[in-house]
Amino acid sequence: MEHIGKEEIRAVVQTFWNLFTAKSKSEFDQFYSPVATVFAADARRSEPARLMLVRRARELFGPGSAVGAKLATIDVQLLRSDLAIASYAFHFSVTRNLPGGKRVRVEVPFGRATQVFQRDERGILRIIHEHMSSAEPVSPQELPGA
Amino acid sequence: MSGKSNEKLEDLYSPAAIIFTGKAKRSESGRLVAVRRMRQLSGPNLASGAELDAIEVQIAGTDVAIATYTYRFHSHRMGKDGSREQRNTLFGRSTQIFQRDDGGTLRIVHEHLSSAVPPKVEKEQTSGA
Repeated sequence: MEHIGKEEIRAVVQTFWNLFTAKSKSEFDQFYSPVATVFAADARRSEPARLMLVRRARELFGPGSAVGAKLATIDVQLLRSDLAIASYAFHFSVTRNLPGGKRVRVEVPFGRATQVFQRDERGILRIIHEHMSSAEPVSPQELPGA
Repeated sequence: MSGKSNEKLEDLYSPAAIIFTGKAKRSESGRLVAVRRMRQLSGPNLASGAELDAIEVQIAGTDVAIATYTYRFHSHRMGKDGSREQRNTLFGRSTQIFQRDDGGTLRIVHEHLSSAVPPKVEKEQTSGA
């Protein structure tokens, strides 16, 4: 099986965010191993990725939502021929509707991501662990006319 | 980390380790962060303590494991202005990725610490100053 390369991981991370901001749910979900665990940015506990994906789809992939992201330099640590860690800072912004009908915008200027990728038995790179966080507190801003 | 061990904190980290500390906007070298932590937390009249919740471990092959857990961390330390401050992290979250090195020792190659809620920081009153 082909060894993981740093540029390969950087390209995969970029694709991950391209699919995220395009709200391509089915392709996006394929990035995660069935046994992946995640710390979502605002969660108090880690959780199975499949739960996070359901919530992310409901909150961020709906027709009234818009997501943007700009990545800083992606550090890649190659641990083994089939295992690598990507870590990077990013600026994240999201506009979405809350269940009560309000429309809000959240800016995360100092997002931080750790993603552990492992090549599966079919040769596809999948995330087995993800930790997202913000270096500074963030608060939603209610948009007028919602 | 709580300053109660004679072992050097930096020895737990691989020389190539990368760390996201609780509030840093960029990642840093693991050993630099470890040395800074020891300086901030092990001085006279300084103290710290941590309570960990259950540690989940994902085994990723023969030589790598991912430990994830939540924790509470309390410290009395010197603030940037030289005054003593008490810092309480009530909803800490940790990812630590370990890899066995050539000598067979498990070392942290990557760490990401964060807090779901900003830590509470209080200035401490100094007596007789």
